[in-house]
Amino acid sequence: MISPEQACTCGPAPAAYTAKDFRSNLKPIWCPGCGDYGVAAAIYRALAAIGRPPHEIAFVSGIGCSSRIPGYTTAYGFNSVHGRALPIAQGIKLARPELLVLVAGGDGDGFSIGGGHVPHAVRRNIDLTYIVMDNQIYGLTKGQVSPTSARGTKTPTSVYGSMEEPVNPLLYTLAYGAGFVAQGVPADLDGLTAIIEEAIRYPGFSFVNIQSPCVSFGDAENQVKSQKVRMRKLAAEGHDSANRIRAMELAQEYGQTLYTGVFYRNPNPPPTFDRQVRELQDQLQPARERSQAPGH
Amino acid sequence: MNDLVIGMAGAGGDGIVSAGESLIGALAKEGYFAILTKSFGSQIRGGESSCRLRVATVPVANPGGVLDVAVALNWDDFLRFGGELPVGERTVVIYEQKTGVAPDALPLGSVEPAVSLAVPIEELARKTAGTQQAKNSVVLGLLAGWFGLPREGILAGLRRKLAAKGDAVLQGNERAFAAGLDYAAAQPLGSEYRLDPPHATATRRIVTDGNEMCAQAALFAGCTFFGGYPITPATEIMQHLQRDIWKHGGVVLQGEDEIASIAAAVGASFAGKKAMTATSGPGLSLKTEVLGLASVAELPLVCVDVQRGGPSTGMPTKREQADLFAAAFSAHGDSVRPILAPTGVADTFAVTVEAFNIAERYQTPVIVLSDQEIAQRKEVIEAVDLTRFEVLDRLVPTAAELEGYTRFRLTDSGISPISHPGMKGGNYLAAGIEHDEHGAPTASGGMHARMNDKRLNKLNPLKDRRDLFMIEGDADATIGLISWGSVAGIALEALRTARSEGLEVKLLVPTLIYPVAEEIYREFFASLRQCLVIEQSHQGQLHRLIRMWVDVPDNFASLAQSGANPIAPSDVVARIRGMARQPVRTSRRHPNDLMNTL
Repeated sequence: MISPEQACTCGPAPAAYTAKDFRSNLKPIWCPGCGDYGVAAAIYRALAAIGRPPHEIAFVSGIGCSSRIPGYTTAYGFNSVHGRALPIAQGIKLARPELLVLVAGGDGDGFSIGGGHVPHAVRRNIDLTYIVMDNQIYGLTKGQVSPTSARGTKTPTSVYGSMEEPVNPLLYTLAYGAGFVAQGVPADLDGLTAIIEEAIRYPGFSFVNIQSPCVSFGDAENQVKSQKVRMRKLAAEGHDSANRIRAMELAQEYGQTLYTGVFYRNPNPPPTFDRQVRELQDQLQPARERSQAPGH
Repeated sequence: MNDLVIGMAGAGGDGIVSAGESLIGALAKEGYFAILTKSFGSQIRGGESSCRLRVATVPVANPGGVLDVAVALNWDDFLRFGGELPVGERTVVIYEQKTGVAPDALPLGSVEPAVSLAVPIEELARKTAGTQQAKNSVVLGLLAGWFGLPREGILAGLRRKLAAKGDAVLQGNERAFAAGLDYAAAQPLGSEYRLDPPHATATRRIVTDGNEMCAQAALFAGCTFFGGYPITPATEIMQHLQRDIWKHGGVVLQGEDEIASIAAAVGASFAGKKAMTATSGPGLSLKTEVLGLASVAELPLVCVDVQRGGPSTGMPTKREQADLFAAAFSAHGDSVRPILAPTGVADTFAVTVEAFNIAERYQTPVIVLSDQEIAQRKEVIEAVDLTRFEVLDRLVPTAAELEGYTRFRLTDSGISPISHPGMKGGNYLAAGIEHDEHGAPTASGGMHARMNDKRLNKLNPLKDRRDLFMIEGDADATIGLISWGSVAGIALEALRTARSEGLEVKLLVPTLIYPVAEEIYREFFASLRQCLVIEQSHQGQLHRLIRMWVDVPDNFASLAQSGANPIAPSDVVARIRGMARQPVRTSRRHPNDLMNTL
């Protein structure tokens, strides 16, 4: 359970926001049938449930199909450069800790070019939510092998099949020490909405991996429709989300078993970086006057 | 003497640098001006270390050329610094007798110094303090005795420094200092070597360095976010801010790498705060992508590059000015980032404040090109007069502008009011991707051209900022000098020497390096028949940069020298004399003209 003082991102009592209030009038570039539409819908609904006004939300992304998502919301968006969404978002949160900060991107953006930033975002534990739309392919550049592609995946840049083991985003973030790790699918919109809302409410770094199939370049067998059949809800499996070791065992089935729900939520969230910053500032202020010259 | 340059070298642990620091502190209190530079081998501990101290009765602009006094605790270490510690015919050389070198057989090649003094430094230390660790105190005594340096001030400094080490250590060092004084008194040197007393002074002086000034200026300018990664010789900026920024409601984030550090700073700027990052050449290479992002998203940001020897790892502890091209050109696409270069320690404060003002006013990344020498040298400067500086903030939208807010509105100035998260009605999409006035991604060629116009033309007013250029000397001179950064102080001294010899010459020092202020250079060139650009890079990067934008005089020469060894003012004076002796023909034939006639 999250105690009231830990649930610091909720802000004032939910206002009368609906999902529509968070959808911008930009038309997505995504292909018809893309999983990302469902992700966007779940984010709108989760934000409506949280109830923070759009101008108090900063939504940061890198580059890729899914990284277009901030532009499709009414929040302050930052569609930055490839792989750098996490550090930019951390700068925003530290500069204005009162904001609700979301980060989103694809598996290439997060676990390949930006992969070096993930462990540090996790261990720094700044209160933000990182959503990865994991489709196991580079879609925007038209279908190259990605860090989460299964071994043997054939693409124009792995003509004879990928020779590498894929990254396991769930196991990685758990091993790095993330306090909140979950997985969702657009096929289960209600479930995905609930996961995202819970992630946002978690006081600290939270990670949501979303299996968001690529309709144009992805595995034809692995599309939104089939997710409904394959998905297994962790809650229904009796998983205790406070059990980190069990969460890691389940996470090892990434790529084989499509678990959805919360793998792990730290029942005793450690202090966030941003909270420690505020405490240090309070302790060391009041600031010296600006008019004080060096050497005086 | 009213100007004395002392160079000292020894093994790490000999306390040579510590002795230099004791001296500059004492000299500052007494009312002298001084510059202390330190140089080390790249070992983390031990290895050779050296410092050079220039002390004068008037402000000095550079650490000086050939040494007036050289102190060698052992010759191997001294000689490793080569051209950093040049000995000449007027130098007094003091060295450890134990080295066994005869005064007439110093390992200095063909150079014969004016005086050679072999002193049993280690023996005096052992006798008086019981340990060779007091060698530096003996040296301080010798220098105070022979050159008239303020003994009471030096002793007071020693006491402060050694207070924590206990009475035994302190008293040992006091005796070692006295032994140095006595030795000097017993073997007197001519009175012509004694330093003149300082001018009466009413101004407040401080001893500081460029990196500290940079950090202090950032705080003064209202910087509340710093993202950094440890890198020589820029790390002290982060260290100073880490100590102080919290008191101003700010944050220092030591990122996992150079990219994360600048990316976080850009995020903080997007969130409406003044933000900075600082690095050296290798870090600048990595930060390039985010610099480009800040340009296209029109986000204010100050990026300090404390240059060191390059390329790649290069020479981390040595001075060089070879990052100019990287600073100006390294991001892809059409973008201009203003580049400012401080010329000294005090100037680093002014330039850093200006960098924040330009960044905020024009919504652009600004690069401050400092360098190892001014960043790490200790200098006695007048206390900073803060009333001289104005602090500018970014243009935020009015309540009316927030109705139907248009973040990238095409205005006459190219500057459009910028909102930040938390500001109701200001919601927009910042992006690295090309965008329209509202921030929506676009692939329209027309919009791309208009946005390029906006982003590039908004910086044009900078080229009229005459206050960002220093011109000194004879306005109608036919011989001109141009120099920048830490080398400008060397050029300035050369200019003064040349003019005192009756030569007519003038000097231009740009603080604004880029964009190139064509008109200001054209005006400077109008009277010139010859011009020399003096800088510390192999290619002569400013020399080439100016030529890209401005028609230069026929004889537009370059005095460019790779880093580490300082350019000697006397070398510059020699070039000026040479130019004055050989007035050039006005109708010089260009090699291409010759080709055309064949």
